[in-house]
Amino acid sequence: MRLNILIGGEAGQGINKISEIVSDVLVSKGYYIFNYRDYPSLIRGGHNFNVLSISDKEIQSTESKLDGIVSMDRLTIIKHRKFLKKGGFIIKPDNFLNLGINLNVALAGALIRILGIEKKFLIKKVKAELNNKKSLNAAEKGFESQKSKYFLKNLKKKLILKSGSESIAQGFIDSKADLYFAYPMTPATPVLHLLAEKQEENNFLVFQPENEIAVANAALGASFSGAKVMVGTSGGGYDLMTETLSMQGMAELPLVVYLSSRPGPGTGVPTYTIQADLDVALRGGHGEFPRIVIAPGSPEQARQKTNEAFYLSQKFNALCILLSDKHLGESEFSFKEGKINPLKVQVKRKIPGKEIVKASSYEHDAFGFTTEEAFLTKKNAEKRILKYKNIQKEVKKFEMIKIHGKRNSKNLIIGWGSTTGAIIDAISDLDAKFLQVLYLKPLSNKIKEEMKKAKKIILVENNLTGQLGRIIREKTGIKIENRILKYDGKPFESDLLKEEIKKCLKN
Amino acid sequence: MSKKLRIDTPIPITWCPGCSNFEILKAVKLTINNLLKKGEKLTNFAMVTGIGCHGKIFDYLNISGVYSLHGRPLPTALGIKIGNPNLKVIAFQGDGDVYAEGISHFIHAGKYNSDITLIVHDNQSFSLTTGQGTPTSQKGYKSKAEPFGKFGQPLNPIRLALASNASFVARANARDVEFTAEIIEKAIKHKGFSFVEIIQDCIVFNLDVNNRDKRMYKISNKKRTKKEAMKLADIYDYNLGKGKIPIGIFYSEKRKTFEEQWPQLQRLQKKKINWKNLKK
Repeated sequence: MRLNILIGGEAGQGINKISEIVSDVLVSKGYYIFNYRDYPSLIRGGHNFNVLSISDKEIQSTESKLDGIVSMDRLTIIKHRKFLKKGGFIIKPDNFLNLGINLNVALAGALIRILGIEKKFLIKKVKAELNNKKSLNAAEKGFESQKSKYFLKNLKKKLILKSGSESIAQGFIDSKADLYFAYPMTPATPVLHLLAEKQEENNFLVFQPENEIAVANAALGASFSGAKVMVGTSGGGYDLMTETLSMQGMAELPLVVYLSSRPGPGTGVPTYTIQADLDVALRGGHGEFPRIVIAPGSPEQARQKTNEAFYLSQKFNALCILLSDKHLGESEFSFKEGKINPLKVQVKRKIPGKEIVKASSYEHDAFGFTTEEAFLTKKNAEKRILKYKNIQKEVKKFEMIKIHGKRNSKNLIIGWGSTTGAIIDAISDLDAKFLQVLYLKPLSNKIKEEMKKAKKIILVENNLTGQLGRIIREKTGIKIENRILKYDGKPFESDLLKEEIKKCLKN
Repeated sequence: MSKKLRIDTPIPITWCPGCSNFEILKAVKLTINNLLKKGEKLTNFAMVTGIGCHGKIFDYLNISGVYSLHGRPLPTALGIKIGNPNLKVIAFQGDGDVYAEGISHFIHAGKYNSDITLIVHDNQSFSLTTGQGTPTSQKGYKSKAEPFGKFGQPLNPIRLALASNASFVARANARDVEFTAEIIEKAIKHKGFSFVEIIQDCIVFNLDVNNRDKRMYKISNKKRTKKEAMKLADIYDYNLGKGKIPIGIFYSEKRKTFEEQWPQLQRLQKKKINWKNLKK
C-alpha cells in the first residue's frame, strides 16, 4: 500500500503544519512516510507544496502520480489535478475559509478522516502542538467534513521521522563538537537554525560571521585553539571558502565542511536540488593536498557520516567535506532507529595555551617557521601524500559503499547521495542491484570489482554531466555508457525512474 | 622543570636593512616583555599575521599563532578567541592586507568588539609585491601597476575605525619605539577590540611619505567623545603636504565584549579552560 498526497498553498499559509500533523500521527501508528518539500524563493504568496507519501513498507522517495490533493488555494488544484490518479480525492479549502490561520489545521483534520484514522489521535496531536480552542475546533470541523476513504489500521512498528538536516545536526552533537559557523545560505541554513536552537543545552556555540570567508577563517582559528569545528554552506559560499580550504591543506588544522548543494551556476535555482557540486567538493582550493569527501544518502547515514567526518578530521588534521543537497537536507524520512554508538572524537594535536604552537599558510618547518627550502618543500609535499595514504587505510573501517537490492543481479545501478532513496524504491521489484557510493574521496576499490561482475551498468545522477561517472572512469578506466541524468532542480520520482531503468535494461 | 621561554626566535630577519618594521618588532617585544614581568605567561599569547612585509613578524616572535591568508587575520583571530577565550590574541596586518583585501572584516571587528588587538603596519604601499598602491596611498602615487597615479582620496583608517565602533582607536609612529610600546600595552589591556595604526616608512617604495616625524605630535590621554575623536582624525588625511599628524589614543570606551555576550564563552573564561577540557 502506498498513498501520495500533495498538500499545496501559498507560502505563509502553513502547508508544513498539515504534513507535520498528519505525518506525526501516521508515524506513531507505524506507517512509513516520505515528505518531499517544493518551494520557490519567496516568503509570502507564490506556490509551495509538499508531497506526503505514506506506506506500510519502507519508502524513501517521492512519486509522480497522486492519490489525493489537499489544497489551500485554487492554484494548487489547477497545477496538480493532471497528476491525480483515477478516483483520487481533492480536499478544497472552501468550507473553512472563515477559520483564518487555522485553515491548515482544519485541512489536516479532513485528511486524517479520509485516511480513516480515529479522531482522538488528531486531537491529541493538535493539543500537543497548538493547545488552543480555535485550532482544536478547526481540527474537529475539518475531521467532520469528510468521510473515510481508507482505513489505516495500527501497524506495530516503532519509527522516527527525520530530515537530513536534523540528522547532520544530530551527528554534530554525537561527536561532542564545539563550534558551528555559518552564513545563511539555502539549503544549508536549516542546520544553522537547528544547532543554534540547541547550543546552550548541549554546550556548544553557533556563530554567524559577516561572510563565508570569515566563517572559514574563523573556523581554522578556532580549530587551532583546539575546538572541534564545523562550517556549513552551499555552492556560492563554498566557492568563497575555497582559498581557506587550501590553507587548511598547508596549516593542517582539522575542519569539517557541510556542503549542501542547490542548482547553479551562479545564484541558480536557490530552493531546489542538484548533485552538481561533487567536482568542486573534490577539487576546490589551489595546490595539492589531501581531503575526504563523504556523501550520505539518508538521514541515518547523515548522522553517522557526520560523526565519521569529525573523527577523521581530528585523527588526520584533515579537511573533511560532507556533501549533501536540498533534497536530502529538507525531505523527511521515517525509519527504524538503530543502535547509535558514536565514535569518540578527540583533539590530539598540540594546541596553544600551555606551549608554543605555530600553524602557517606558508610552507613551514616542524616548528611552524616559514621555509622556502627546496628540500623541505619537497619533503612536506610528500608528507601530505603519505597522509592521504594513511587516510585511505583508515576509511576502510567504514562503510565506503553500500549494496542495495538483489545482490546477485548482473544489472548494476551506480549512484550517490540523495538519489539513494529513489533508486532503492525504483528497483524494489526489478532484477537489479544498486551500488551506493558513500565515500567519494577516497574512492573504494570495491567499485571496480562490482563493475566487473556486472553485465549492464547504469549511472544515475541528479546532474547534467555525470560527475560520479567521471571519477569512476578516472579511477577504474571504465566508462559507464548508460546514464540516467536529471538536472531540472527536482529530485527523481521513483516511479518514473523505474520506467527509465527498465528501458535501459531492455536495450 | 620547564625551561624559561624567550620571546626571540633564531630565524634570520629578512626585512630590508633599515626598515621600520624592525622598530615595530622592538616595540612589540618590549610590550610583551613588560607584560611578562607583570605576570602574564608567554604561552598565553596567540598572534595572527596576514601576508605582506608585516607578516614576517610571525617568524620573529616566539609566540603561538597562525600565519594566516592575505586579508584574513581578523576572522582568524576571532576564531582563535572563540576557540579559547582565555588567550590574549594579537593580529598584525599591513595596510594592503587590512584596508584592501580584508576591509569587510575590519569594519565588523569594531561591531563584534571581541577582546582582541589589531596592529597595522601602515607604509601606504604594497611593498612585498614591489610597491603598488594601497587604500591609504596618497592621491597621485605612481607605481608600476598604476602609471597614471592613484585616483581618489586615501582612506582614513582612524575615521573608519571610529565609524565602525571600534572601542579603542590609536595611532603610533614606528620610529618612536617606547611610545608605540606604551600604546600597544594599553591596547592589549583594553577589554574589547583595540586598533593600533602604526605609521611607518617604506625605504624602498613610496618614498614620498617618509620622514614625517617632525609633523607628528602626541595627543593627550584625556577621554574624548566620538565627535572629538573624529575631529582629531581629520587633521591628517594621509595625503602628502604639510600639516600635523596626531599620534596617541584617539578614543577608548568600555563596552560589552563579544565574549561577555556568550554564556558559553563566559563559562570557559570563569573556569579558565578551553573547549577540549570542557566536560560534555
